Amino acid sequence: MQKTVLMASLRQQALHLLLTLGLVVAVTVVLYAAIITTGVTQGSAIYLIPVLIAAVRWGVVPALFAGICGVLASAYFFVAPTYTLIVTDPHEVFNLILFTFTAIIVGQLAAQLKEQLELARQREVDLSDLYSFSRRLAVAFDVSDIHSAIEDHLAAVLQRKVILFGPQREPSAAARRNGGGMPGAVLGAVENMASGHESGGSRAAADGPGGETVVGDGDDIWLVRAVSPSRREFGVIAVNLGHASPPSQGALRSRIDAVLADATATLERLGVAHAIGEARMRAQTEQLREALIGSVSHELRTPLASILGAATVLAAAPALKNEKSLKALVQGVHDETERLNRDIQNLLDASRISSGGVRPHLEWTDPTDILHSALRSCARRLADRAVAIDIPQDLPLVHVDAVLVQQALVQIIDNAAKYSQAGSRIAIAAAARDGRLSVSVRDEGAGLTEIDKATMFHRFERGERHAATTSGSGLGLWIANAFITANGGKLEAVSAGPGLGSTLTVELPATHSAVAQLESDADD
Amino acid sequence: MTEASPIVLIVDDEVQIRRFLRTGFELNGFVVHEAATGGEAIRTATLRPIDIAIVDLGLPDMDGSEVVERIRSWSNVPIIVLSVRANEANKVQLLEAGADDYVVKPFGMAELLARVRVALRRQSRAATGEPTVVVGPLTIDLAARAVLLNGQRLALTPKEYRLLQVLAQHAGNVVTHQHLLKEVWGSIHVHDTHYLRIFVRKLRQKIEPNPEMPRILMTELGVGYRLAQMPAEGEPAWATAEAGGSEAQAKPDA
Repeated sequence: MQKTVLMASLRQQALHLLLTLGLVVAVTVVLYAAIITTGVTQGSAIYLIPVLIAAVRWGVVPALFAGICGVLASAYFFVAPTYTLIVTDPHEVFNLILFTFTAIIVGQLAAQLKEQLELARQREVDLSDLYSFSRRLAVAFDVSDIHSAIEDHLAAVLQRKVILFGPQREPSAAARRNGGGMPGAVLGAVENMASGHESGGSRAAADGPGGETVVGDGDDIWLVRAVSPSRREFGVIAVNLGHASPPSQGALRSRIDAVLADATATLERLGVAHAIGEARMRAQTEQLREALIGSVSHELRTPLASILGAATVLAAAPALKNEKSLKALVQGVHDETERLNRDIQNLLDASRISSGGVRPHLEWTDPTDILHSALRSCARRLADRAVAIDIPQDLPLVHVDAVLVQQALVQIIDNAAKYSQAGSRIAIAAAARDGRLSVSVRDEGAGLTEIDKATMFHRFERGERHAATTSGSGLGLWIANAFITANGGKLEAVSAGPGLGSTLTVELPATHSAVAQLESDADD
Repeated sequence: MTEASPIVLIVDDEVQIRRFLRTGFELNGFVVHEAATGGEAIRTATLRPIDIAIVDLGLPDMDGSEVVERIRSWSNVPIIVLSVRANEANKVQLLEAGADDYVVKPFGMAELLARVRVALRRQSRAATGEPTVVVGPLTIDLAARAVLLNGQRLALTPKEYRLLQVLAQHAGNVVTHQHLLKEVWGSIHVHDTHYLRIFVRKLRQKIEPNPEMPRILMTELGVGYRLAQMPAEGEPAWATAEAGGSEAQAKPDA
């Protein structure tokens, strides 16, 4: 086996020498023709050309060979007496010796340059592989992303089939995912490796340095080892070495060692061990949250729907027609159920916001529609307030998620009603200026202190003066703020001070261009 | 609804919801059939005559939208869907699948009854070929292509009339943006919602007695538009006004 590799390398060396000889012959022919036609006499320096070419293309040995051939050729063909290797003129002897030294030094320099170039190129490829590897790791969201990044990186660098088994990954499942082709013996070795590490790594140590095992299976040889001997969470890797012979196997294995050391360093630098744990936790939290929201939605709201529906049926029942006090009770059930429903909705909205689940569905909308819809939803809360509405007829269209903006406005109006007295005035006005649409809700209620202003959009924040007297979850304005922000707008509060009322203003990006374009898009 | 009692099919897997719906409908002179699963619903709809179906979206055996599609494939019985909040895309999809309207849970009996009556009225109008739709002060004569506000004939452009006509054909029921855009501007404009916004605004200026506070052409945010049905007589004021809770759609302004 060793012989074949050596033979191959010798064959290649011989080919290079042959090519070098060809170059020297070609140069000789050209020089000879030049001497015959033009009478040039000093030509041995031209033999530096084959030396340079051989050095850059094939390395130092062919370069030296080119130098020797060059000396011989010029001694034979061009130095008197011609057609013998004897050189008599001391001047020419000196020339040839000078040429030989020059050829040796230039050849060596060029060969070194070539080596460095190749090294740099290899390093560049390695670095760019590593770079893309770390980029993939940086955007990896969960454990399996990280694992497949490691897998792909190794496969790309080694040019071999590579399968990575994470600590949580079923070996057989991973093998299936990789299109099978994995013998049972290898799976066994992987399982051993994984469990060996679990029990303290003693078994892995028995298999060899760094916990390696080589499993042969008829045609292919597989190398099984831990990605990192010290970090179990990076997993176990199986590399198909193919039919490689022991020496080339050795070379491949040291390459694998180098790549894995690089990969491990990258992984550790990026804190991947931590990230893997984190990602797993994030996925679990996400699942839990989804399940919770789903079950809260269903488990709490289904009975609410029954209670509220039944209350409305009871209220309209003929039996209660003349029972004023009973009807008031039913009304109470109805109102409280509604409040409970609003609170649950707020909690759901809040969890949607804090988990980044608010994805606005943007659409061209008439802000008037949003305002009317919000006013309809708040009609009952506003029933005993003096509501002044100022909505111009020529408001520009806004590109927003109408439902989110409406829900934000409902929270704001609701808040204005909650912190003001019955019979007081609530003014709702809309205006467009400088490409922005603003909607303001002004009340004559409790107003805001400086502290209120600073904290009012915080979650679960309730003004201290009212926490005891007015019910609420402290979520309303936080939700409103989040919904408005998600639509590219902003929410601001102004107040002259405690007891002097407050004004909340929603600003949204608006455009006149769409309207203008449509206004010209005349009706037929 | 004066002659024979209308027959309603209630499809919901929650027994308490079925119970209050049954009582509510029976008190209002309906005959009630119940189904707890989609399969049962489709069987009942096939075997027994029904005038209207109320379908909950979350059924144990199949999605509510599948029930809607299956019933719609052979019957044009009105279908009202019980939906949850914050899922406008889903509402639109159900309406496109053939549902006539939706009510958001939790809802009040009065709100659901109002929707049911609108759907039944529309059905009987379609059956008798009744050509006029009256919404408060507005009268739309579909046969004569005439629109009158307080007895005065309005001058509408062809597109404005077409928009109003499509809404009037579904009077009281919500019509999706997509449907309106397709009917008025053609299928290539189904996503040009801004066309619709501008024409609705223009139309409101002509047909609404007070365009600042629309009472006739109502907005269903994120879903579509609806030609209002006026509040029915003889129902408790709060039940009519507030039946649907914070999401109530049809109620007089404060």
